[in-house]
Parts: sequence; C-alpha cells; structure tokens
Amino acid sequence: MTDTPVVFVVDDDSSVRSSLKFLLSTVGLEVESFDSADSFLRNKPPDAPSCLVLDVRMPGLSGLDFQRELLARKIRIPIVFLTGHGDIPMSVRAMKAGAVEFLTKPFRDQDLLDAVRIGLERDRVRREHEKEVMILQRRFDSLTAREQEVISMVVAGMLNKQIADQLGTAESTVKVQRSRAMEKMNAQTLVELVRMIEKLKGPPEKRR
Amino acid sequence: MNDLISVIALPAMWSGGEPSRIVDSLLDALLGMLQLDLVYVRLSEAAGRLPMETVRFARSQKQSVPPHEIGGLLSQWLDADLQEWPSRMRNPSGDGEISIVPLRLGLQGEIGVVVAGSERADFPLQTERLVLNVAANQAAMGLQQARLLHEQKRVASELDQRVAQRTTELAVANEELRKEIAERTRAEEDLRSSEEKHRVILEAANDAVLSMDEKGAIVLANPATQSMFGYDPVDLVGKPLTILMPATMRKLHEAGYQRYLATGERHLNWHGVEVTGLHKDGREFPAEVSFGEMTRGGHRVFIGLIRDISKRKQAEDKLRASERGLQVTQAELARVSRVTTMGELAASIAHEVNQPLTAVVNNGSACLRLLANRNLESDVLRRALEGIVADGTRASAVLARIRAFIRKEPAEKNELDMNELIQEVLILARRELDAHQISLDQQLTTDLPFVLADRVQLQQVLLNLVMNGIEAMAAVTSRPRFLGVQSRIDESGDVLVALSDSGAGFGSEADRVFAPFFTTKANGMGMGLSISRSLVETHGGRLWAKPNSPYGAVFSFTLPAAGGSPS
Repeated sequence: MTDTPVVFVVDDDSSVRSSLKFLLSTVGLEVESFDSADSFLRNKPPDAPSCLVLDVRMPGLSGLDFQRELLARKIRIPIVFLTGHGDIPMSVRAMKAGAVEFLTKPFRDQDLLDAVRIGLERDRVRREHEKEVMILQRRFDSLTAREQEVISMVVAGMLNKQIADQLGTAESTVKVQRSRAMEKMNAQTLVELVRMIEKLKGPPEKRR
Repeated sequence: MNDLISVIALPAMWSGGEPSRIVDSLLDALLGMLQLDLVYVRLSEAAGRLPMETVRFARSQKQSVPPHEIGGLLSQWLDADLQEWPSRMRNPSGDGEISIVPLRLGLQGEIGVVVAGSERADFPLQTERLVLNVAANQAAMGLQQARLLHEQKRVASELDQRVAQRTTELAVANEELRKEIAERTRAEEDLRSSEEKHRVILEAANDAVLSMDEKGAIVLANPATQSMFGYDPVDLVGKPLTILMPATMRKLHEAGYQRYLATGERHLNWHGVEVTGLHKDGREFPAEVSFGEMTRGGHRVFIGLIRDISKRKQAEDKLRASERGLQVTQAELARVSRVTTMGELAASIAHEVNQPLTAVVNNGSACLRLLANRNLESDVLRRALEGIVADGTRASAVLARIRAFIRKEPAEKNELDMNELIQEVLILARRELDAHQISLDQQLTTDLPFVLADRVQLQQVLLNLVMNGIEAMAAVTSRPRFLGVQSRIDESGDVLVALSDSGAGFGSEADRVFAPFFTTKANGMGMGLSISRSLVETHGGRLWAKPNSPYGAVFSFTLPAAGGSPS
C-alpha cells in the first residue's frame, strides 16, 4: 500500500500519450498510459490516489461510454476529459456524470496540471473517506446484534429508558450494552458516534 | 225468195262463230227452209283435226242415225267429183230411197261437203238447188272465215303460249342467271373481302411485308416497305432481296438461303431474327425479321415480315443510358454522401490536427517548466524537440491529406427541376424513412420554375435536411413520425422547399443550429446544416429553421427561379 498518486493517461495517439506523460512528470507525477479504454480496464487499478486523463474521441469505447462503464463497475476514478473540439452538450453530460474537467486540445499546461491535481485530491479524499468507512464498518461488524440495535436507537435520539422499554430489558442492561458498543466503536462522545454511523450509512445523494 | 234472203243473212249470225255453230245453224236453216229429210255435213280435217261429221234428220224420219254411218254410206263418193255422185241413195233412217244433192264447201271442196236428202222424187227443184248452192257458199265463206279466225286465234294463242313459255323459260333462265350472278357476286365479294382484308392488312401494317421467289427476287412489297426502306414497293418487284441489306450481310444471307433451298436446313430461327436493314439512302437500321414459306403453283414463295426496331433499340439504349446515368448519379451521390460527412470530416480534421498540436504544446510546456526549474537535461530536451518536430511534420501531413481529400470542384450550374431532385433524394432516403417508420407527406407544386443550381450540391442540401429530419425523429416514440416535403413558389417568386418533421425540435436555438459544430444529436458533429446553409447561400438563396407546431422543426430554403419551367 502506497500513497504515491498515479495519473492514468488513455489516448490512442502515442505522441499525445508520451507528451502528456512528459508534461505530468515535470511536476513529479507518476504516469501510466494506455492506448485504449479496454487496455486500461484490463489493468488492475493500483491502491493509490489516481486520476484519469481521457480523450473523448477514441476508437472502440468512446470517452463518454467509458465513463459510464467505469461508474457501472463502481470504479470512482476522477476523469479529466480531453477533446478535439468544444462540444458543449457533450461536455455538460461529462461534467454531470462526475468529470473533473473538460479540456479542449491543445490546452494550457497549467489547466491540465490543475485539473489533474484536483482530480488526485478528490480521489485522495474519497479514498480516505472510504478507508475510514471501512474501519468503522469493521468496528461496527464487531458489535453484537443487540449492541448494534442499541446504538442505532441511540443515534436516532432515544433515551436509555425508551430503548429498554422497546427492547423489553432493564435500563441498566441497555446502559452496559451502550457503553460497550461505544468502546468498540472507539467513540468518545455521543456526537462522535452519531458521525460515525452517518459515515457508515453514506451520503444519501451518492446512492444511485 | 225469202229463203234465199234468209240464207244470205246467215253469215251475219256466224260472224266470229265456231265452225260447229255455223254448221249447226246451216243445217237447221236448210232443214227448216227446204223441208229436207236429212242434211249431212262433213268438214274435212284441218290443222290436224279429225273430220267433223254432223247430221240432221226431219222430225218425220223414223230413226236417227249417227253421222259416221251416213258418212259410211257416202264414203265411196266423198272424194269423187260431184258429177259422179248418184242422185238417189238408200234412206238411212227409213225405208226406200231418198234423192240427194251433194254440195261442195269451198271452191274445190277443201272445206268439206254438204249432202241434202229428201224422200221427194222431184228433189231438188231449181229454187231448192239455188238456195242450197248459196247456203253452201255462204257456209263455206263462214267456215272459211271461222277457220281463218280459228287459225288466227290458234296461231295467236300458240304465239302467246310460245311467248309465255319462252317468257317462263327466260324467267327461269333469268332466275338462274340471277342466282348465278348473286353466287358469283358473293364469291367475288368474298374473294374481294378476303383480298381486301389481306390488302388492308398488308397496306396498314407497320411492318414491311415482302414476298420473294425461289431465286430470292422480290415478288411483292407492301407500302410499309417504302417508309422503312425508302423504295417504292413497285420498283422493288423483281429486285433481289439482298438490296435491302448491307453488303456485309448479303453473302451470309445468300449462303444461308441457298443452303436452305438445297437442304431445308435452317441456320436461323425464322421468327424474330435480329438483322440489319439498309435504307435506300444508305442508312442502316436494326430490324427484326420473321419468315414464312408457302408453295404456290409448284413454286416456293417466301414471305418476310420485317420490323424496324430502331425505336426499341433506342429505348433499350436509352434505358442503358439511363442506367448509366443512374450509376453516374449514384457515383455523384456517393460523392455527396462523402461531402455530407463533411461535418464528421471537420471534426476529424480538428482531432487529427489537434493531436500533434497538443503533443507539441505539451512537450514545449514541459520543457519550459523544466527550464524554469533549471532541471532541463539535454537528453530530455532532445527527446522533446524530436517529438515536437515529428508532430509538427505530422500535422502538416494531415493538412495536406485533407486538402487532397476536399478537392474543391467548381459548382456546375444547370437548370434543374426541384421536384425531380426532391424525388431523387427521397428515393435515396427511402430506406432510412422505412427503417425509422416515418410517413412521408409530399406536397409538391407542379409547374415549378427551374432553379439554376449545381445538382450535386442541391442534392446534398436536400439529403442533409431529409437525413436531419429523420435523425431528429429517431428518438420519438410517443407520436407519429412524419416528414413533410413541400415545394412551392414563395411571395417573391423564388422556389421554396420546406421540410418539416415531428422530431425533437431545437427549442429557442433556431439560429444556432446553423453554427458549425452545433448539434442536438448524440452522434452529430454539427456541420451538416452549416454546410447546407452556405451551399444554399452560394446559390443566391436562403436557408432557415423554425419550430414546427406542435413538435419538431421546419427547415425551409429558397432558390431564385431561373425562368423556364420543366413543363
């Protein structure tokens, strides 16, 4: 596991590929290039923040189709689109589908580097978030069924007494289960626990 | 004396009478006047009749005797002279003897004889003899007259009869003659009508009909021969058939003909053989010949039916030409569709040129960055510069290729029938229309004036607009898809064509649709309408778009009328 970010370049034109690689390398970025969407998909994605620099117009799978394909495979890599001409409806669609940027060739080097940096940052954040969720999930999974039940009621704002009533146990039992769960989740306060559970559920708007 | 007068008056009674009546009245008069006991008359045979004997007896006589018995008694004297007759004879109807007086009728007794008899011994007295003589003379005259009259009548009647008979014979003969004439007329009529039919057929036929003898000489030619070959049919008679064919064919024909005569072998199909005819003016023309053969009076006669198939050939040639034309049109359309892909081509140009340019810019930018950081190694720089040179060269090569591809051909302007062009393009788009289940609503105004335009470019515009409409409706499922095609003359006298669809439309972007790279289609590059508009404008027309109600769009363009009209 490494945190060295990787930029993937997918373009069917070899000189464009190598020039992109050269340009990105000047800011110290690791670059891996592919001549088609398919060859990129065949490659196992590295466990590092990454960004995809993608030509819209390519033989085989087009850039936009490729974007859809990645979403379908739950590969949430930020994409910087490159295009030969400014097709507004196309760029709108690409952006709506989560593209970082839509650059018209030839572009200013800074615009590309900025877009790639944004992409990598977005991916880093996403990866951290996912890592955090994964850890929380692992903790949550270590709770007993009753402990999971109790803390989901706690997070919903119920008092110990109400929880005991609903579960048909003693309030003291609930208290014990609650503090054990807090301990296992590594939550110091109630507020912290609520945030953890919310993270586990994930933001509702991301669900598609 | 009274008796004498009575006797002289007798002929008046007899006038026109029959001999028997004369004889009867003579006998009655003599018997009454002279108190005779019998009177016998014998009329000698005349005109093939038997002698007629009549006898009268006085009432005092005991018995009547038939006249032929009296004749028998007198027979030995009937032909003798009157002097030899006896003055007395046995009384045929009584006893004893009677005195008789024979009298001649006619000078030589040619008419007959009268015998008067009386029982009186002193018969005849002088006066009695006189009366008898006069009476006999009168009777002879009467009989003579009667005989003449009879003869006249007989002759007349005979004549009549003969005339009647002759008339009848004549009538019969006439009738027969008439029948015969009718028969003959009918036969002639039949013959004539049959000949007429054949003649009419021969004369009315468009095909040349020629008959020829075994020597190959023309025996008959119909009027169509003249129009086809230029020869008067009369002049052709006796000429060899070969004068109607070009020299190159004559030997072949001759050989084939001789072979046929000798062996009966046909080397040609006798029906619908294609040959070349030779007109009197030297012009050759394609013809189709069918032959027939018959025997007439022991000689073989050949009949040829020749049809001028120039027109058919022309039609065939025309068809071939139009097929070739179609191929040319198809080739042109291929070019049109190639040009129609101009939009995609433009995008492709952008891509192909942009690729090396992008690489150049990237390489340059990277070098500048490294240079700024004082980190540009010469190896890296060399590689970057090599890349820049290569990409610059490549971009220029792309442009050269494109220049070669879009060979700008000068527009060729002709007077064109807009409706015809619309039809051609619709035929071309038919498959697409069917594939998309689009119904076509054509409202083409006939008698449109011509427009002066380049056919290919105009086809391109029409095809662009039609395909545009089809593609705009590709996603429509909730309503009928239709493509309206209208042609008319607009207010300023220009030819206007409007294509309406029930597609997606373009909202408020009606003007922007003509901008290069504008598109509402997922796969469109946004060049078709832009190119179409500039093509229409180079022809002096306008192309614009309006929303269609309630859905879709209407694309209209006008072109100036060129004056003439297709009809």
